Amino acid sequence: MGDKNVLVIGGGTAGLSAAVELANLGVHVELIEKSKFLGGHAIGYTCKAIENTCVKCGACMVEEKLQSAVFHPNINVLAASQVQNISQNNRFSANIRQESLVIDPEKCTNCGLCLNRCPMEGAILQGFSKNNHPFYAVNIKKCLYFKDRSCTICRDECPETAIDLDKKASEHTIEADAVLIAIGFQPFNPKDKPYGYGRFNNVVTGLDLERMLKQSGRVKKPSDNKLPQKIAFIQCVGSRDAKLNHLWCSKVCCGSALRMARLIKERQPKTEIAFFYMDVQTFGKDFEPFYREAQKDIRMIRAIPGDIYEMDDRRLKINFVNNSTHETKEEIVDLVVLSVGITPVEDIGTMSRIFKIGPDESGFLRTDHNGVFTAGTVQGPMSIPETIANSGSVAWKIKKYIDGLTIDD
Amino acid sequence: MISSSEIIDMDQLDHTRCRNWPFLQDFCVTCGMCASSCPASGIDGFDPRMLVRMVSLGLAEEVIDARWPWICTMCGKCENVCPMQIDIADLIRKIRSKREREKVPGILHKGLVAALETGNNLRLPKDDFIFIIEDVAEEVAEEPGFEGFKAPIDKKGANILTTIHNKLVNTHTEDLKHWWKIFHAAKEDWTVTSENWEGTSWGYFTGDDDAMKIMAGRIVEQMEKLEVKTLLWPE
Repeated sequence: MGDKNVLVIGGGTAGLSAAVELANLGVHVELIEKSKFLGGHAIGYTCKAIENTCVKCGACMVEEKLQSAVFHPNINVLAASQVQNISQNNRFSANIRQESLVIDPEKCTNCGLCLNRCPMEGAILQGFSKNNHPFYAVNIKKCLYFKDRSCTICRDECPETAIDLDKKASEHTIEADAVLIAIGFQPFNPKDKPYGYGRFNNVVTGLDLERMLKQSGRVKKPSDNKLPQKIAFIQCVGSRDAKLNHLWCSKVCCGSALRMARLIKERQPKTEIAFFYMDVQTFGKDFEPFYREAQKDIRMIRAIPGDIYEMDDRRLKINFVNNSTHETKEEIVDLVVLSVGITPVEDIGTMSRIFKIGPDESGFLRTDHNGVFTAGTVQGPMSIPETIANSGSVAWKIKKYIDGLTIDD
Repeated sequence: MISSSEIIDMDQLDHTRCRNWPFLQDFCVTCGMCASSCPASGIDGFDPRMLVRMVSLGLAEEVIDARWPWICTMCGKCENVCPMQIDIADLIRKIRSKREREKVPGILHKGLVAALETGNNLRLPKDDFIFIIEDVAEEVAEEPGFEGFKAPIDKKGANILTTIHNKLVNTHTEDLKHWWKIFHAAKEDWTVTSENWEGTSWGYFTGDDDAMKIMAGRIVEQMEKLEVKTLLWPE
């Protein structure tokens, strides 16, 4: 029983949930995560409760899974790690490369002095979850030491001597009875859409807004850090798009955007919000009353805007068609939020190569053959609760597989 | 045009009627990006999204008789932004092609009839055309650096044959000079024809493929007659 081992690739919602489920079943889990922090995209999502009533967005569940995983005796986490190659001879044998973490988790006390003293913006990264230990990481792409060895302030000032800027990457071999691929999704990059993302400061994505609300509780204009008077949400950016070969609905963006819009209305009631959509995707059994309330505060416009122009004062001019009068209208807003879709993550290519399995025609990956499994948004669009449910069910399939039982749905 | 207040019984509509129109209007997800981007939408209530929907619902007569397809400038911005790759400008042209020719809006219809009968949209006689070309050429020759400039008409074996937009021999003769000066500076061996010189083909805008074939055929004929291998068709 206790000698079975599962390799989970990906430390986001799906990987964490499946790992915890398996660990609770007495299976040992090696969880590897490419980035320096666990939790994937969703750990940066904000709680969207209105008047202290939960709206079931699922953000808190990710934190819960992360905490359980980090402290579970059956789970060993390797951050900053990637599979190099894998061989299968009954069991799997995976070569893992772990980039240098620089900050020693054994010594670090999460005091934050490194971040405070670092002269280079973005060189010390901060996680979203306090349960992520260490809470800080060195970003070698920005760090001056890695550029030209000109700065060692963090190392010199760390009271615990936890920082070793010369620490090398390491190689690990993991033996496993099954592998779970839970590498998540890639948020659509809207830079080529006619909305000026990446060029206009006050055009952000839904994910940017999630993180902004999580970190500061308020929505502010990136151009001047002031509160916006008027916000426009644009839905289906990068989803339901034949030109991109993205014919799917990403399922989660309507819920996420409407919940954030209502949260902003609650916290910053003077903000005017316009919501541009094709049709609103339902989410959960509480959708009807939620949507009724949302329509009271939020102007719903059934059209996707054509172009956005930035004005001299950094406000944004939006062109759209008025559905009832069939007239094109121009409207000026302070902030535009693009609800970018869920798309297949690039690493699906690597996984396909390593495990010799092909993605589906949309580019997502789904398998439960020969000890290789997938869970979560690597399979396609899913909400946080759906991801957790899916991962739980896949964990049971894995358990059956490693116990030598046949898999049936 | 159907007003929003008019109620249509959807069950009475034949959604398959326009299926043989070779466009993907049934893919429309009614996102409205076409209407939001269109520089002409809103003029007389023109709404490309609604037009596409009408076609996919089989409202053929309604769209053929409507003024909307004739408001469109066929700039193609709609299909550029359309996430479902619906060829809206081609759809508009298809609708235009289905209208009785006598009911095609005035200037387009008259201009095309004139072009088919006389070789140009203005019914400009050959002598008048030659007079205008020579007159403008003389004006160019008076400018410093262009002494002795002449516009070669019907020059056999020239390198380039260039067509003329009718407005350049009507109200915009100045614009002829820009082309000619470039030819002169580049020492290009070029010519214009004294007949069938018309570069605009309003068959394109009225959806009249037969007329387009005739107009294009005439240009080819001229090229063969003058043994010119390269065509400059600046329309």
